[in-house]
Amino acid sequence: MGVVVPAAVLVLWELCSRLALISPRYFPAPTTIGWVLVDRFVAGDLGSDLVVTLTRLAFAFAIAAVPAIPLGLLMGIARPVRDLVEPYLAFIFPVPKITLLPFLLIILGVGEPAFVLTGGSSAFFQIVISTLAGVQTMDPRLLDVGHNYGAHGLRLFWKVILPAALPAIFTGLRLGLGLALVTLVAVEFIAAKSGLGHLVFRHWQMLSTPEMYAAFALVGALGLVLTRGLRALQARVLTWQEDIGV
Amino acid sequence: MTALGRWFAERWITVASPAALLLGWEWASATGVLRAVFFPRPSTILAHLRDLALDGTLWGHTAPTLARIGWSFSLAAVLGVTIGLAMGLWRRLREGLDPVFAVIYPIPSVLFLPLVSFMVPAGEIALVVTSAVTSFFLIAFTTTHGVRQIDRLVVEAATHYGARGWRLFATVLLPGALPFIFTGLRLGLGFSLIVVVAVEIVSASRGLGALLWLSWQVLKVEDMYATFFVIALLGALSSYGLAALRARLLPWVPDVGDR
Repeated sequence: MGVVVPAAVLVLWELCSRLALISPRYFPAPTTIGWVLVDRFVAGDLGSDLVVTLTRLAFAFAIAAVPAIPLGLLMGIARPVRDLVEPYLAFIFPVPKITLLPFLLIILGVGEPAFVLTGGSSAFFQIVISTLAGVQTMDPRLLDVGHNYGAHGLRLFWKVILPAALPAIFTGLRLGLGLALVTLVAVEFIAAKSGLGHLVFRHWQMLSTPEMYAAFALVGALGLVLTRGLRALQARVLTWQEDIGV
Repeated sequence: MTALGRWFAERWITVASPAALLLGWEWASATGVLRAVFFPRPSTILAHLRDLALDGTLWGHTAPTLARIGWSFSLAAVLGVTIGLAMGLWRRLREGLDPVFAVIYPIPSVLFLPLVSFMVPAGEIALVVTSAVTSFFLIAFTTTHGVRQIDRLVVEAATHYGARGWRLFATVLLPGALPFIFTGLRLGLGFSLIVVVAVEIVSASRGLGALLWLSWQVLKVEDMYATFFVIALLGALSSYGLAALRARLLPWVPDVGDR
């Protein structure tokens, strides 16, 4: 069943497009798109745009995760820090992060730092909030047990709090990576001159639809591999954790 | 001490820190520590916000955004809940659609704009449909999950007592899935806002996203900040307002998204 329906959709699409029941100009046959995908990869330009997007994603994810995890942990442990930071989180978190782009563009100028930071910002807030939730929702009995066995301060943190929050941190990282990809591709679509998002935009403007669908499919594959891959990794690494979240 | 006074004594930092930040920003921009070109004084931004509101520009851009969010969210909610329930009830449908959804869902919704504009009339309709895509998947996923997580024992007990068909659905399955449906709707509304603003940046000439982008292109920095503030306000209203609404209307329904 899992393979039949997608295959049926593709075959139906192929037939409709070949028989011109739907306009082949706007909906080229899947095999045509497949060949374009192969052609472009061999020519090298699709691969280079993929590398550009992946590089941006890696930087965006890194600059989000490195400060976000310590901040989330600190907010979970120290009440004053939480009170201090929470109003800003509550204000920025529901805002579409793409709206930060024009601000970063005027402050940093049009270029990679602005693109990467916009992508990173969407991951940053998600990771902080997941990490904080991980510390806050941990079983208080674990803390009591830790205390009774004489764990205090740094030792309590390393041996009890961090392991308890780890699954939530991982969930935050996974969601954050997905959000960073979504925002980054949107940024590329809107403002950048390279990357998969820009590729879709350019071929849309030029109405070279097979190339457009090829780039589109590549973004979908990338998203699928990242989300599924990280979920599998999480199930593997954190075997004691049953809840994987949405 | 009154309740408000007690809250303030405990959480004074929450109020004091943004106030201090705004004052510091005002001072830094006024004295030139921060470049006022990039960081205009909060009081200047407020004055611009008032001007935009008074001459009708702001409402002229806010109204289309609100209408688009309303349409795309309604579209996503109706289709998402219907298909989500169907997928929760029929295993074959779920197994058939799951792989299709899994591929489409992680694609950023802005990218659907070209695709959608081939299928439906470009312009307003394409914008609304594009904005509905991600919300639809989110709502469908959570609804499916909501039906599937219902305790089998409850369903079996209901069938033993003779509930089947429509009655089983309306009295057992739907109420059981409700917390998840509601969480899906809340998240979906947030995503509608995000995508509407993003699509407006790309393709619309009116709407808050368009206002933000146009203000950037002509470097009206104060208007950018003012627009951003309004968008943030909408975001806060949609996410905290809906949560408050749920607590009021469905107090027995826990929000499963608060994990």
